[in-house]
Amino acid sequence: MLSDVSDRIVQPEPQQAQAERAARLPILSVGELTGLIKNTLRSAPRLREVWVEGEVGQVSISAAGHCYFTLKDERAQLKCVIFRDERLMMPFEARTGLRLIAQGSIDVFEPQGAYQLYVKSIQPSGFGDLALQFEALKAKLAAEGLFEQARKRPLPVMPQNIGVVTSLSGAVLHDIRRVLARRWPMARVVVSACQVQGQGAAATIVAALRRVARWIDDESGRATDVVILARGGGSLEDLWPFNDESVVRAVAAHPCPIVVGVGHETDVTLAEFAADVRAATPSVAAELIVPSRTDELARVGQVGQRLNAALARSLGERRQQLNTETRALEARHPQAQITADRERVGVLLDRAARVLARRLEIERTTLARAADDLPALAAGAIGVARAEFARSSAALSALSPFATLERGYSIVRGADGAVLRDAGKVRKGDPVSVRLQRGELGARVETVRDSTP
Amino acid sequence: MNEDAERQRIAALPFDKALAEFKQVVEKLEAGNLPLEESIALFEQGVLLQRRCERMLSEAELRFQRLVESAGGKVRALDLSLGEAEEPG
Repeated sequence: MLSDVSDRIVQPEPQQAQAERAARLPILSVGELTGLIKNTLRSAPRLREVWVEGEVGQVSISAAGHCYFTLKDERAQLKCVIFRDERLMMPFEARTGLRLIAQGSIDVFEPQGAYQLYVKSIQPSGFGDLALQFEALKAKLAAEGLFEQARKRPLPVMPQNIGVVTSLSGAVLHDIRRVLARRWPMARVVVSACQVQGQGAAATIVAALRRVARWIDDESGRATDVVILARGGGSLEDLWPFNDESVVRAVAAHPCPIVVGVGHETDVTLAEFAADVRAATPSVAAELIVPSRTDELARVGQVGQRLNAALARSLGERRQQLNTETRALEARHPQAQITADRERVGVLLDRAARVLARRLEIERTTLARAADDLPALAAGAIGVARAEFARSSAALSALSPFATLERGYSIVRGADGAVLRDAGKVRKGDPVSVRLQRGELGARVETVRDSTP
Repeated sequence: MNEDAERQRIAALPFDKALAEFKQVVEKLEAGNLPLEESIALFEQGVLLQRRCERMLSEAELRFQRLVESAGGKVRALDLSLGEAEEPG
């Protein structure tokens, strides 16, 4: 059809023949023809979405912000357009000399009579292969169940031994050390060095993971409780060892839970999929695996309050019981028995009072140390400790009357060492020991007066 | 138990064990129904355990080491000074 049209132009026909021809094939305007071409191209399914690889030639950016460039190889050139909105979303700009893969659709720009690629996305050349490899390996390992949620192990609550697999150079190791020293200095950290990028990096990562797995703490006989595998951010190529099959498998098969922290935002590596926990950065990985010592200090303080309260309650109950018993006994029983009971309880309560006093002294020094050595501790935590101290002091004053019972009391124990509470538990002739304020007596029971009402 | 031996045992406990034991002691004491003497012994033990926990929390220093393999394949931990790792470049 096109050749017919040109024929007409080059070789004028006799008017009659021309009219016949025109009746058979209508003459097209340029616009009509271009429209026809446009429609033909647009309706070709193969051209609706194409991926094309080539080298960027001339590039120009229009005042409106659209990018016009050519993509070429040895045989041909292709005009390409990236509209402003798409262009601003793209990770990089098309620059002369760059090899890239463009994705888009073919269409015709009628005013210039040009067909062009309307580009939707671009990728650096070579990425395509990596992306394909990545997807293929991801599908294969997923089919084996390596990434399944059910495989993921919980992290230890308070790790004692922590393994770190990363490069000795760079900020990552410093960041991890800083976080662990601040939050959980009770830990022992063992670093297993590896290369995190470049040729051979994957093999060194696998070797470093194995080294950690083989280490046993001589002192406690324990292996590492948790391992961090980390590296800083980088380009897709830099991160590639973390997509290596041997690394992914070594992470999944590691004997203790692994947290993988890679400092990047978008691409998730396969090692992270296989990890028990994925952290956004190496520092976050360190934060995740240990509790905070200030939180723990506050918790220990709370348990300490419970300890004080439990003792105070048990002493209070005992005192009440003693008062009740004393009154009951006074009505019915010989004075000696009452005295024995009172003495026994009195001595114990007095010991309790001494223990409390010692504890308060300890707390006083602990508080003083906390104030000196831990300026970083929240002022609130110290406030709580001070309030607890005040409450404990009050509890001690409440108990203090028993301290005056000290002089002259003793504890009597049976042959088995248990404190005697019931005369019915011994017989005449049984050996007993009597503990005085100073020293102890060995004695034998002469008479037994059962005091059971 | 011998008081000194108990004191030494507690002073050597790792943090997690000391804390777990501390909580057990408190729970036992809270449950009550104990002879007074036993309550006080528990309380004294609790005080030692709390002190052990607090000391470690406020005084511990992070041990930071590097794993090396000897010729025989044994993995050992050697101290790693920060200078050994290069400064971030």
